[in-house]
Amino acid sequence: MIIDFNAYLGHWPFRRLPARSAAELVDLMDKVGIDVAVVSSLNSTLYADPQEGNFELLEDIKNHGRRFVPLAVINPKYPGWEDDLEDCIGNGFKGLRLYPQYHNYMLTDDECLKLISKASDMKLTVSIPIRLRDGRGRHWMDSARDVAIQEVEQLAEKLPNSKIVLLESRDVVSTALVKYGNVYFEMSRMASIIGGEIKSLIQSVGASRVVFGSGVPLKYISSALLKIRLLKEDEEVKERILWRNASDLLGLN
Amino acid sequence: MVRIDCHSHIKNKLWDAGGITPESLMEAADKLEIDAFCCSTLSFGMPTPEEFKMCNDIVLKAMEEYPGKILGYCFVNPGYQTESLKEIEKRIVEDGMIGVKLYNQYRCSDPVVYPIVRKTIELKVPILQHAGYLTDQAEAAEQPNLSSAQDIARLSFLFPEAMIIEAHLGGGGDWEWALKNLRRARNVYVDTSGSVVDMGMIEKATKYLGAERLLFGTDLSMEEGVGKIIDAKIRDEEKQLIFGENMSRILGRRSR
Repeated sequence: MIIDFNAYLGHWPFRRLPARSAAELVDLMDKVGIDVAVVSSLNSTLYADPQEGNFELLEDIKNHGRRFVPLAVINPKYPGWEDDLEDCIGNGFKGLRLYPQYHNYMLTDDECLKLISKASDMKLTVSIPIRLRDGRGRHWMDSARDVAIQEVEQLAEKLPNSKIVLLESRDVVSTALVKYGNVYFEMSRMASIIGGEIKSLIQSVGASRVVFGSGVPLKYISSALLKIRLLKEDEEVKERILWRNASDLLGLN
Repeated sequence: MVRIDCHSHIKNKLWDAGGITPESLMEAADKLEIDAFCCSTLSFGMPTPEEFKMCNDIVLKAMEEYPGKILGYCFVNPGYQTESLKEIEKRIVEDGMIGVKLYNQYRCSDPVVYPIVRKTIELKVPILQHAGYLTDQAEAAEQPNLSSAQDIARLSFLFPEAMIIEAHLGGGGDWEWALKNLRRARNVYVDTSGSVVDMGMIEKATKYLGAERLLFGTDLSMEEGVGKIIDAKIRDEEKQLIFGENMSRILGRRSR
């Protein structure tokens, strides 16, 4: 069983993606053995009203049963987000994914804290990608920052009851972030073999706070899969990372 | 399917290279079924002849410890022309290194580099040219003499007999921009290394350049380097070319 916690659907405005629809993503998942993808809308990065992207996504995945777990993209700076959140959860979304770097807010802004507090009250996990692309070759219109680790630390400190899954993170082992038990880490940018960051992270925070993710379809899947397959850990640890932790976080059991 | 990592490194006292030792490369080789690594070790700034010779000594030692597994690039600073040419001659002819590594001391379109290129043509070895097109200005400012694909294309038109490898398609910024520039530069190969694993990169590179001009590499992003080739929607024969056959052919041209 493999759950990919870091997956997306839709168009990426700065580069043509080889897979954009749910059907195309299922095809990719089947090739490498991913059972379930935890997805959010890429369209919602730049839509003024991200809620439109949420419902596009829901429409796209409706014929693919349990292969997808939808996460709602909510912009806490945009009016009506409380209603949007209620609508999303009422329609089957299982958690939140935030794009602060594209929606122009800080994780520590009051509106964002209010959103994440509400999500926590509703027992919803909030996932946040540090970035959606490597900044070295960014499109000139794509000025989104990488989310700073310190910003996440402050969020984790302020809202200890929240559950934050940090996507696309790396170089976290030596940061204060590891001490916050409410922060989980997706591992696709960490090394398994040389440097062994994933192993160090497991030693630091325990296997229960690491989840598998690939970044598909922005990124190839097998690079991330190889990192877990080649990890020198017990099968039980790998199972936790590959699906059990994700399942617990999303209440899929 | 032979796998030759055409872009790898070993640490030295001037450059940590992620702490990579020949032993750690061998461990990676075992896990990722990599048959050989083409390695350089380099230094930042404007290395003196003593410094680039020291780098090459480290690579030579690794070559001797792991014959056939670690192959060496000779790193030079083209600003020291006489010493660089002498060093290349020695390392390729006497020590058995397989090519020349150029970093960001000069843009490769700078005439100071031309004698180096002529030497590699004479010795029938490739140049692995550190390259990128960094659209982020802060990143670009850190490497003012970084060679772009445009520089490499210009150089290739001037020296059509040269074998030039544009380094790390997945580590040099806007890779689509690079492919567009290199399409007609037919004596330029592109190594696929780097931490960037943008889906579609290998397919587009194959479409624009042909699999015959792509070389598998990691630049120490090991799982990324292998994973992107495994996932690419291209034919198995094309993956074979990329993983090792193309580099084998390049290595086979070297003057003995």
